[in-house]
Amino acid sequence: MLDSFILGLSSGSTCLLTCGMVIFPYLMAGSAGTRKIITDLSFFLLTRLLVYFLLATLAWYFGKTFLTSAIFRNYVSGILYILFAIMLVWYSVSRNRKPDCPAKIVNTVNNKKLVPVFLGVVNSLGFCPSLLLILTKSATQGTIAQSYLAFLGFFAGSTLYFLPLPFAGRLKKKKVFETIGILATGLAGIIFMVKGITNLIGGILNG
Amino acid sequence: MVEIVNNHSMKKSFGKSLLYALPMFLITFVFITGGKPDFSDPAGALAILVTFLGMNILYFLMHYTGKTDKFRAILFIIFALSLSFTLIKNMVAIRHSMSFSQADIIECRIPFCHLVIPMMILPAAFTKSIIFPGTILGGFANISSMVVLWLVATIVLGRGFCSWGCFYGGWDDGFSRLRKKPVIKRISDSWRWMPFAVLLMVAITAALSLTPTYCSWICPFKAVTEFEQVTTVESAAKAGVFISLFLGLVVILPVLTRKRTQCSFLCPLGAISSLSNKITPFTVKIDKKTCNECFKCVDVCPLFALTHEDVKNGKVSIFCSKCGKCVDACSRKAIHYGIKGIPAGDMKNFSRNIFLFVSFLFIAIFSSGSIITVLKSVFNLFI
Repeated sequence: MLDSFILGLSSGSTCLLTCGMVIFPYLMAGSAGTRKIITDLSFFLLTRLLVYFLLATLAWYFGKTFLTSAIFRNYVSGILYILFAIMLVWYSVSRNRKPDCPAKIVNTVNNKKLVPVFLGVVNSLGFCPSLLLILTKSATQGTIAQSYLAFLGFFAGSTLYFLPLPFAGRLKKKKVFETIGILATGLAGIIFMVKGITNLIGGILNG
Repeated sequence: MVEIVNNHSMKKSFGKSLLYALPMFLITFVFITGGKPDFSDPAGALAILVTFLGMNILYFLMHYTGKTDKFRAILFIIFALSLSFTLIKNMVAIRHSMSFSQADIIECRIPFCHLVIPMMILPAAFTKSIIFPGTILGGFANISSMVVLWLVATIVLGRGFCSWGCFYGGWDDGFSRLRKKPVIKRISDSWRWMPFAVLLMVAITAALSLTPTYCSWICPFKAVTEFEQVTTVESAAKAGVFISLFLGLVVILPVLTRKRTQCSFLCPLGAISSLSNKITPFTVKIDKKTCNECFKCVDVCPLFALTHEDVKNGKVSIFCSKCGKCVDACSRKAIHYGIKGIPAGDMKNFSRNIFLFVSFLFIAIFSSGSIITVLKSVFNLFI
């Protein structure tokens, strides 16, 4: 649960950086008022949670079907952890980060009431390294409940960044928070790299 | 207030320096000897004498030469080395090893250090429990005394604690002085926000897991103090992380950059201390009227606390640890110790004298115990 929460934290900062400029205007429309913002934000977060539970079910089913041996699970999770963790670290240190949010296509949605739901779906399906890592973790869990818990932790970690959205416009040092978010992402990558190496060595020693 | 010396020098005459050093001489005498020097143990008495004289000579030289950093660093580095030695000596005496077992954790026999503080805050606030397996009162390095010491030092000195009180900072400060010129010269300023990212991570993970995650997984100084017994793949991985971070951030990078990279890029307590710079009365000021923007101070700052922008704006950033390196490097004394409320350029000597007295007194009292222990062990070999 803790690992998943850390991943969620790293994913949240990535999401905000890439999608912030698309999500902010819709969720914080100036004339909407606090109640509207909270309602939209709730729909947005609820949709994300539902999509994550769906992903948790799929990942668990995939793991149960294909990753049958415990040692094989250690190998696969170790290698995938290392691979995705490197992607995460690369994301945080890369100088050529170009914000490219899949939620940009939100402009094509005509029914504005559906926008938060649409944003929730697109945002949770943005296949960033953090999501790949949590999918790996979820696939290697013993029971479906553990898989849901992993995604719940991930959801909680990433949601932390969205909760202060209504006040984001008032933040004076956005750049500093952005920098800290990116660096935290890199740290999460390093944590999972170490975890991946530990899993892999554990797998080799037990194999 | 009339300046004691001319505007471009902090030097004082021999007599004046002696006069300024006298209060420190008396106070350290009381603290180090307890007011009653004990001569029954020759090695112990000699260790106390050498420590007492050494410290007061350094303080005298700060006034006499007008330089701060060089003499501060001597005591700071000796403090770091002696503390590690004392800690290891204690651990070996108690456990016959530098590593601790699960039994030591269960019985709360782990010495506390100030780096745990950022992880204690949230769990203490929400669960009213302390998530460190140490003793609250009594015993070696107990929790309450360290928290009180750190709190007092941080309120008074701000991030000055990192250069005048932290018994780990001396390690990378020492290594950062080994080369005369840096090999790596350009490092992005963005990295100085890294301790805040570490703080965010460790504070939240510690609150959720109710374990001191920084100590368990990250702290590079585990390599020179105490660490978990290597019995599993996980504990081996932890040991690997400790050693890698120690070699990378405390030894190699400081040598190559001439910067205190562990303090600048990792330490979560440094992040909290940086914020405390906002409330402390002491600061470092830039007198824009005197400054010719040579940026020598930016080059020498070991903590990335000064950027070209900061100098142009005449403001030192929150990352400043008041080590005095920039103050010593400035030939025009445009950058100087100051007190909040007094305009930059005014009462430079007064501000420096007050700051030096407070900060040196803190490090002298805090470090004397471990230095005496080390010297006593050395003298015992000969006497």
